[in-house]
Amino acid sequence: MSLARADLESLLRARRLDRTLTTALAPLDPRDETALAPAGIPSLDARLGGGLPRGHVSEIVGARSSGRTSLLLHAVAAATARGELVALVDALDMFDVESAAAAGVDLARLLWIRGHVVTNPGLCGDLNQRALEQAIRAFSLVLQAGNFGLVVLDLAEAPAAAVRRLPFTTWLRLQRMVEGSQTACLLVGGEPMARSSAGLTLRLTNRGLGVGDWGLGGLGNRGSDDLRHQGSDAGTRASADPQSGIRFGTMLFDGLTIEARVARARAREREQMDAPVPLTTVAADCA
Amino acid sequence: MTNPQPPIAANPHSPIPANPQSPIPDPPLYACLHRPPGDGPAPASALAALAREFSPRFECHGPDLVAIDVSGLERLIGPPQTIADEMRREIAARGLRAHVAVAATRTAARVLSIARPGVTVVARGEEAAALAPIHIGILAKLAACEEPQRPQSTQNLFVQKNSARSADSAVSALLAAVAVFKRWGLKTLGELAALPAADLASRMGKQALAWQALARGDDTRPLIPALDEERFDATLELEWPIEELEPLSFVLTRLLEPLSTRLERRDRGAAVLHVLLRLVTREVHARRLELPTPMRDVRTLRTLALLDLETHPPGAGIDRVTVVIDPTPGRVVQHTLFTRAHPTPEQLSTLVARLGALMGQDRFGAPAVVDSYRPGAFAMAAFAVEHRDPHGERRDRGDRREGFVQENSADSAASAASALNVVSALRRCRYPVPARVAVADGRPVRVTTDRRGFVGGAVTRCAGPWRTSGDWWECEADRPVSLVGRDPARAEREPSSASPRAHRSHAPGWDREEWDVSVSDGAVYRVFRDRETDAWFIDAIVD
Repeated sequence: MSLARADLESLLRARRLDRTLTTALAPLDPRDETALAPAGIPSLDARLGGGLPRGHVSEIVGARSSGRTSLLLHAVAAATARGELVALVDALDMFDVESAAAAGVDLARLLWIRGHVVTNPGLCGDLNQRALEQAIRAFSLVLQAGNFGLVVLDLAEAPAAAVRRLPFTTWLRLQRMVEGSQTACLLVGGEPMARSSAGLTLRLTNRGLGVGDWGLGGLGNRGSDDLRHQGSDAGTRASADPQSGIRFGTMLFDGLTIEARVARARAREREQMDAPVPLTTVAADCA
Repeated sequence: MTNPQPPIAANPHSPIPANPQSPIPDPPLYACLHRPPGDGPAPASALAALAREFSPRFECHGPDLVAIDVSGLERLIGPPQTIADEMRREIAARGLRAHVAVAATRTAARVLSIARPGVTVVARGEEAAALAPIHIGILAKLAACEEPQRPQSTQNLFVQKNSARSADSAVSALLAAVAVFKRWGLKTLGELAALPAADLASRMGKQALAWQALARGDDTRPLIPALDEERFDATLELEWPIEELEPLSFVLTRLLEPLSTRLERRDRGAAVLHVLLRLVTREVHARRLELPTPMRDVRTLRTLALLDLETHPPGAGIDRVTVVIDPTPGRVVQHTLFTRAHPTPEQLSTLVARLGALMGQDRFGAPAVVDSYRPGAFAMAAFAVEHRDPHGERRDRGDRREGFVQENSADSAASAASALNVVSALRRCRYPVPARVAVADGRPVRVTTDRRGFVGGAVTRCAGPWRTSGDWWECEADRPVSLVGRDPARAEREPSSASPRAHRSHAPGWDREEWDVSVSDGAVYRVFRDRETDAWFIDAIVD
């Protein structure tokens, strides 16, 4: 069996079709910033062998509220902090600028391309195929321009069926466009999309929900005008529910406990892929 | 009137005898014309026009001071004194009054033209001696008389501002130095020229050497001749009208290639590209593209022109194509080894144009936060095509390595701190999704919607409420239609062209109660109850 696999791989290499092989590429130097784009999280970067590989199509996948956006913004912030330009093709126009600013993204270095708001873009129930294809065309244009440090296609809330209807050659074409460049190409979705074109697939799982238990001191600056406006209503904020650990009236959501697992990585050791990386997200005012 | 001092002397540095066949170039000889202040109004280009009559090589040091390279005119007009007299005659014929000085160095001619009225001619090698008795205050007059070298095109305001700023600082430094020289007891240029150069530089800085060279009459740089503003345009008449844009691209390439070559020769870039299409209906379809950065790449210019014409197509066939370029000084880029390569301005300009054609002009840019408590408020700015090093660029080499190490350690510390705090992010529903929320004991217990792709379910945990409101002081009559608090059915029917920015940034007041809920399908949502209508919406997904 191993011999047959080796023969097949050598044949693919001979015909220069080895891009789909998981063992085709040599390990990358984790200190080489021209080959890797660190996500800015040491534990995750260590597991990824230094960061997201440049010149490849990588993926962050996971269910809703699994921390995909939090991790994505962290990677974007790290890229802009390195002085790189980042392009984000936001197919469903769901990017939250405040979250990005809180994550430390240098917004002046972020090219935000907003997908067309169709009849009702909210949770993309009515997203049509044309909007998705338009986002991919915009994504291709950015890749053609070149020299962006990180280029992101955000399809996280797109219906899986709509993504599956895209031709398989779409991802191969994107891989061909990005390979050999110093651009890290990142897809964000609910499930793996690029199949054999993906250089690295990071699957995120929500492992729990932490709800804030901090007091009024953690209110931050949100809604301070409302305190003046609401008058006596503010007095109800401090009531607490001791059984659930929720303090009503404090800052809303506190954080997520998520787990990142390398589901697929070309040029990575198999044993590295098994162990998950625990991560915790916190609300912006706690960061 | 001819100034008797210093006399024209026969000396060993006298001009080489005229010999047209001689391969030895003529020794340099400069004439300077200065129009004294308070001499009545005259067009700023009057001296330049007069200078052009004598030589194509002249430099305008200001509206009232022109230096002319008259080397070789001895063969045509005569000795330097004759040249000076001829100039003075021409000045008088034009109704002007100006001082004329002729010397072997441009600096000496400039100083003498300001310091001495009438005609002054200095023999070759006698420049320092001629300048020596002049009062040192002439330096201040010279600084006031000269203006910064203007770029030939007025398009590049950045260059203009920079050159004006540097000239102002140079003038102020010279005026301060003159005051210092006077305190030292120096009265004439000769005394300044006689100071030891090393000691002078150690006290006043290296620019003092330039002032001393001025006092000695030495040129520190060659003459930079003023050039006529060149017109960059090209026209092509077509035998058969063009109906489509694809053949037009070939025509544009043919017109732009020679223009680009000319721009490159003159170290210019295109600031504005005009495309004038004469149609078969005898109308002219004119398009004007203001380029974000000087460029002369033919493919880029052609692509930008075609993308613009795609969005603004001509109404009929084209039978004549004219391209006009407004030039501006070329872009000077100093790359560094310490920063990553970015897309070039040409690439970014093309990308922006393509994205505009594909997505619409308002659908991309650099996001920006706004000073508002409105949930989800944001603004969009144009994406800059030139980006600077975030760590600063003005360090010299000595500081660079040390700074590099410090920044790396600072970055490491920052990244270590931020790694502990991955900030929870939201995914905003640009149009809040109408939801049905069951409430028990004042808390949401179940969230469902009719929206496909959203499961909803029982609320497992929740936090809230967070009451927020704002802009309630806005006049009701002035309010545009608000997204928040209106009939959800109307929100569904909102036309797709509506700008989220308008809704988020400019919509009137809001008054809501926000909850973060975790539902049984594992998702966490930010829902809110609009306190005006008592309707519930899903505003964002915590992700």
